[in-house]
Amino acid sequence: MRVGDIAVGRAGDKGPILDLTLVAKDDAAYALIEKAVTAGAAEKALARVAPGPVMRYEVPGLRALKFVAPEALPGGVYATLHAGVHWQKAAIWVLLELDI
Amino acid sequence: MKPVRTIAAGAGFAGDRIDPAVALAASGVVDTVVLECLAERTIVPGLRAQRANPEAGHDPRLKRRLSPLLPVASKNKCRIISNLGAANAAAAGRAIGRLAKDLDCKGLKVAAVIGDDMMGRQDKIAWDVSFNGELLGARAYLGMAGINEAIDGGADVIVTGRVADSALFAADLVPHLQPGDDALAGAVAVGHLLECAGHLTGGNYEGPGGGGLSAEEFANLAYPLARVNADGSAEIGILDNAPGLLNVLNCTLQLLYEVHDPSRYITPDAILDFTGVRFTQTGPNRVHMTGARITGRPTHLKVSGFVEYDGCIADVELGFAGKGALDRARTSVDTLKRRLSNWSPESMRIDVVGIDSILGGASLSAPADLPEARVHISARCDDLEAAQIIEDEVIALTVSGPAGGGSIRSERRPRVEVVSGLIPRELVPTRIEWSLS
Repeated sequence: MRVGDIAVGRAGDKGPILDLTLVAKDDAAYALIEKAVTAGAAEKALARVAPGPVMRYEVPGLRALKFVAPEALPGGVYATLHAGVHWQKAAIWVLLELDI
Repeated sequence: MKPVRTIAAGAGFAGDRIDPAVALAASGVVDTVVLECLAERTIVPGLRAQRANPEAGHDPRLKRRLSPLLPVASKNKCRIISNLGAANAAAAGRAIGRLAKDLDCKGLKVAAVIGDDMMGRQDKIAWDVSFNGELLGARAYLGMAGINEAIDGGADVIVTGRVADSALFAADLVPHLQPGDDALAGAVAVGHLLECAGHLTGGNYEGPGGGGLSAEEFANLAYPLARVNADGSAEIGILDNAPGLLNVLNCTLQLLYEVHDPSRYITPDAILDFTGVRFTQTGPNRVHMTGARITGRPTHLKVSGFVEYDGCIADVELGFAGKGALDRARTSVDTLKRRLSNWSPESMRIDVVGIDSILGGASLSAPADLPEARVHISARCDDLEAAQIIEDEVIALTVSGPAGGGSIRSERRPRVEVVSGLIPRELVPTRIEWSLS
């Protein structure tokens, strides 16, 4: 099962900081992603595209996890060497495609 | 509980659609339409334009966006608040006053909120990082105060430069709410929810397992409104019979969007704890929100600085089609790496569009072939000559590389980095400039 089968997600940014949100569809789904998508798992999954440390915040009352990568976008989104600008909008798919 | 104020988002970025705001103002059910038109770096072209012309520097879409909106908003007594002043709110205020006259909207009071420009107080800014490029501009994120002064003065249209997006909404709500932190927390949370407009109503959203709105729905997407109660709780919704998707999942995504620590979201007027927020679906495309809390007020305001470096980023692509297109694109990647082996690998990126140009191959595995594939290179170049070398090396592949290379695309982007700093809030006073139509 993909994370994206039981949760929704969105990617955002501020300056060099990549900010990812997952929201589980119900309590059982939250329990699964809370266990599987650790900060370490997110850091490993993002390493190929946005290396650096990842911090995780849990919001059980909203069945949500936040992943904040403060060094993922050096110089901000316009300093990127990816094709075009704003590649980071797609970054949530790194987490949504994780197999759990 | 009966709502005391209805506020709507008519735009979520500078180039956003114009018709949703007109529909909201025309509905007669909305007290205020907010147009959020200033993303983090959107101000940079304005800073450049203002250097060349003191009356420029506001969003160049001002006339196109406001021409259909001002008459209907004026007729329905619907207030407009927008940060489309960008780098030059004062000039935007004057331009809106002139436009309102041209449109025969008589008696409109237009207020421009001035005070975000920190270039004269650079010595008071504590930057997060050191930088050695040229500082194009430094703008503080203002809070509600200037907008509230404009409201007290009877403004029909309020235009600002850099203001925290959520404050554009909260300033309009707070005069109608109970005093105290809980109502203020609700007002800021409503603003934060609405500030990205279509993000809250089904845009940039896919449900669990896939699926989203149809093309017909996206093409006519309703933008959100909030019916806000005196205690700061609110019902989020869209206009009746308008297409959109508003549910607990996308409200939660947007509440937590770009907040970093959800228990400590720092805005100019309040530090918020969103962990106690609760959403309830109360009807089709109607979601009730309650439970935002305030934990403090920041002593400093955030300042964004825009630092320009010499040179540019060269971003060049070359396409292939037919059997073996992907192989030929991959051979081109390898060829470019050999041709540019004396360049620092950290200052360039070479990949294949359709395979690994966005996520570096970190999502799905690649297929064996594609009907079409594009090789992409971006390189950080110290001068335009270096950018020309990159472009030339790509074009050389059309005659000295794999067969059939073409569909060349080449662009050069200025090297502008965004830096953050803090400034004591007492050093950021605001004032109002009025224009009348």
